[in-house]
Amino acid sequence: MRSAWSVAKRELSSFFTTPVGYVIVGTYAAISGLGFAASFTEFCAITVNPAEKGYEGVPKLEELLISPYLLFCGQLLMFIGPLITMRLLAEERSRGTIELLLTYPLRDRDIVFGKYGAAMIIVLVLMSIVGVHLAVVGYYTDVEPAVLAFGLLTLFLMSGAFMSLGLFVSAWTRSPVTAGIVTFALWFISYIVGTFGQSLPAAPEIPAQLGVNAARAIAFFWGIFRQLVVELPLDRHAERMAQGIVQPQDIAYYVLFTAFFLFLTFRALESRQWRA
Amino acid sequence: MIEVTGLTKVYGAITAVHDLSFRVEKGEIIGFLGPNGAGKSTTMRILTGFTPPTSGVAKVAGFHIEDQPVEVKRRVGYMPENVPAYTEMLVGAFLRYAAEVKGIARGSVKSEVDRVIRRCGLTDMSNRIIRNLSKGYRQRLGLAQALIGNPPVLILDEPTSGLDPRQIVDIRQVIKELAPEHTVLLSTHILPEVAMVCERVIIINRGHIVAQDTMHNLTGGDTERIEVEATGVTETIVSKLRALEGVTGVETLGNGRYQVMAPRGADLRGAIVAALSSADCGLAGIQLKRRTLEEVFINAVSSDQEMAV
Repeated sequence: MRSAWSVAKRELSSFFTTPVGYVIVGTYAAISGLGFAASFTEFCAITVNPAEKGYEGVPKLEELLISPYLLFCGQLLMFIGPLITMRLLAEERSRGTIELLLTYPLRDRDIVFGKYGAAMIIVLVLMSIVGVHLAVVGYYTDVEPAVLAFGLLTLFLMSGAFMSLGLFVSAWTRSPVTAGIVTFALWFISYIVGTFGQSLPAAPEIPAQLGVNAARAIAFFWGIFRQLVVELPLDRHAERMAQGIVQPQDIAYYVLFTAFFLFLTFRALESRQWRA
Repeated sequence: MIEVTGLTKVYGAITAVHDLSFRVEKGEIIGFLGPNGAGKSTTMRILTGFTPPTSGVAKVAGFHIEDQPVEVKRRVGYMPENVPAYTEMLVGAFLRYAAEVKGIARGSVKSEVDRVIRRCGLTDMSNRIIRNLSKGYRQRLGLAQALIGNPPVLILDEPTSGLDPRQIVDIRQVIKELAPEHTVLLSTHILPEVAMVCERVIIINRGHIVAQDTMHNLTGGDTERIEVEATGVTETIVSKLRALEGVTGVETLGNGRYQVMAPRGADLRGAIVAALSSADCGLAGIQLKRRTLEEVFINAVSSDQEMAV
């Protein structure tokens, strides 16, 4: 693990000795800050006169402020995240330093966990900004601290899944720009599909002349398809979690997603054994 | 220390290395020669565990490169061609990173980094950004990171390419000093360099080994040839030359040219001149022929090319 930490440290030192790191953190701070200010103002406007905005009673802080704001922070990562992950392995290839990395006495796990660890530490830096905003909310309202902490955990799990996908893409190409664009495309498509999935009907219309068995089969596969479209997108599960609703399957989703793509990254590194 | 048997590497339709076999003993400095694209870098990349061979077996320091890659990598210092580096890092920080991932104990990282910095003449450079290093210093940095951890085997891919003459001399000196405790395999285009640094040479061309021997044997072994151009009766000249002490053979090359064979280092030129003048033969020219590595190299490479055509 010490080697993995060395790899992570080197990655971080490169990130924070070049302007890239500060630009990324600064951009995230600025946009998430604007988002927070906007959500907060909106929430205040609603609480002043809930009836006028169509709410019955005093609206819940979790639903109207914390959840949308956390989701916004997660979605912001959809744009910022590829800038973090695109360099991880692709840049080693484009600079030729992969030749050093793979001939030092490192195991694949040192490389994968080192790179992933570095990305997650950067995520933690970004989350500390979100943490400050949530601390402000916690200080001035009587919202339960556990809800805020769970909100941060949600964001962390969601970012972890984002990063694992980005690392995987970065392992397949020698061009960081390609890695960044592909990662962004995958995340964005997943986001659009998720939005589209919301409006899918629960059961498809099946023409009667197809017969009972065909109808059953279609309904079965439609069910799977709809479930995939609704459940797979990365931000879907975070919505419930960000409101402080703890469900094991949501947490399991992110943990498994991350594990799956880290596993694929291992395979990608190992592929040098059979690719030229 | 390095044992290669039947090593083959195929990239798609191109066979980069074909059925390579050689051995390198402990403490040897081996020169790896060959024209561009001969397969030198490919072989080195296989030996360092960067790319796997298509077939064949390679062992470094007794460990199989495919079965125990980490054990091999612990014992090999590798300086890749063109010295890739994290260009935004400081020289010292980069070397500390190399020491850490090579598993140097926490307490000894600093002293190990200082040691290679001194050895490679990088003193005063440790706070420089790698991007700003001159080619010569970058090359030294490449060597320095390979030396970290004092690995018994060093694989250096063109360590002196692109350096100025002064820097070449410095780097060669460093490599020469490595000899007794380290086994060194180095590739180069510069033939005199091999003559100066290496004890044994492997010449490869189009992925095949075309020559493999000690410098001594490749450049003529124990025999030394003197070419004589003389006027006079051929038989007289030949018998006079044969009669000289130390001469092991005389060949007539035609047009009044003769080749005299003698043990290496005998240098019979003086004696030949004296013998010919006492026999009233005119001497038109005399030359000690030492086979240079250039000739060996060109011969080996071009005869291989002809065979292939």
